[in-house]
Amino acid sequence: MKRGDGDSMKIEPRFRKVHALKRREHHPLLHKIHRKHKISYQTLFYMKEYNTRAHTITTVLSQSLKIIVAMAIVSAFGGIGLETIKEKFVLIMPLMIMLPALNDMVGDFGATVSSKFATMLYTRQVRLSRGVLRSGAFMKLVRNMLIVSVLSSVYVGILSSAVALYSGFPLDGSVAIRVVILSVATTSILIGMTFLSAVLTGVYIFSRKEDPNNFLIPITTAVADLGSMIVFSLLVLYLF
Amino acid sequence: MASTFCHGKKGIKILIPESAYLIVANRDLREMLWAEFISVTGGVLAGVALATMTRQLMLIPGLFILIPGFLSMRGAVGGSLSSRISSGLFLGVVKPKMTDRIVVSNMAATAMLIMICSVILGVFAYYTNLFIFGESNVNMIFISAVAGLLSLVMIPINAYTTLWVFRKGHDPNNIMGPYITTLGDLFGTASFLIAIWVTT
Repeated sequence: MKRGDGDSMKIEPRFRKVHALKRREHHPLLHKIHRKHKISYQTLFYMKEYNTRAHTITTVLSQSLKIIVAMAIVSAFGGIGLETIKEKFVLIMPLMIMLPALNDMVGDFGATVSSKFATMLYTRQVRLSRGVLRSGAFMKLVRNMLIVSVLSSVYVGILSSAVALYSGFPLDGSVAIRVVILSVATTSILIGMTFLSAVLTGVYIFSRKEDPNNFLIPITTAVADLGSMIVFSLLVLYLF
Repeated sequence: MASTFCHGKKGIKILIPESAYLIVANRDLREMLWAEFISVTGGVLAGVALATMTRQLMLIPGLFILIPGFLSMRGAVGGSLSSRISSGLFLGVVKPKMTDRIVVSNMAATAMLIMICSVILGVFAYYTNLFIFGESNVNMIFISAVAGLLSLVMIPINAYTTLWVFRKGHDPNNIMGPYITTLGDLFGTASFLIAIWVTT
């Protein structure tokens, strides 16, 4: 078994004991392999989780199914909020046009923050022993996400209004400004919630020696989706 | 506003605002901004498609319950697939090829997840609609299942793009999230339209 040899992932007899280990245990064999073959613990952990085809499917289904179902149901609860304001919502065309983009954008931020944070944990750019906020890479991610979120939300508001206007919707300046405010306010609130949920969950999952990739994205996107629907619905009621 | 010097052509120093310098000099930020603007534009297109469905949305009660759950479920599953492959690529365990054993098995697992979750979500939407809004519409389950089945076509596209982005020297983590949700929204809304058309 060589490092980077993705195609030859059949379990060699000498590694069968490692394969049979429970996720939370650190068997002495892992330390021996790490020392002898110079393979990092992160790589060994990844290979233990996803080494054979059947094992990968079992791992992904067992770790992801419950959380994905829970996340989808949580998002559907957000849909209930939308269903209750649909009369008002359907009447204002820019809101209808903006909804998938806004939902996407907030979900994207959740996915980007989660996957980058998971990679930071694996590659030790964030060390739990030192604290997350002391990591330069993490603080850079926070700054980048803030800039991207503000610019993107303004763009969504303007683009939705422009498309609605072009489609014949009678849009005046006051409605257009309220649409942009709605977009920026929803995004700003949600980006804070996304970071909070990603960091708290990521640290917890990684410290339990499980793969954060299987948990973080569903959790942050569920938080983002439910939060965006609730915040969006409340702001629609307040602003329009 | 804070400003900074940047070296232009022939070594001439140019004074530019700090915020603009951050965007120009930061590759991560540039990648995320481009990806996000493209994603948002795709989202607006999906919104226009959704706006054309207004009549169905008003006529078939409970579809608003199904839409956010379905779209986010598909995005989360696709995002997890891409993220798992990315971690493997960065660790050197996964080769950037579609035939790689780990990539293939991850795609199979993702397909199973989507189908199981689509059916569960349809059942949930049906009962929520029944108990909260007093409307019984069994078609919700079929719409969800058919839309899930149609959206399976996205899995190989997601995996291929992750590998392609990595081969081109970019960080898939920056690009794939927005890409998956954009493509997912367009495919998802289209799947929904087809599923509604097929089942009603």
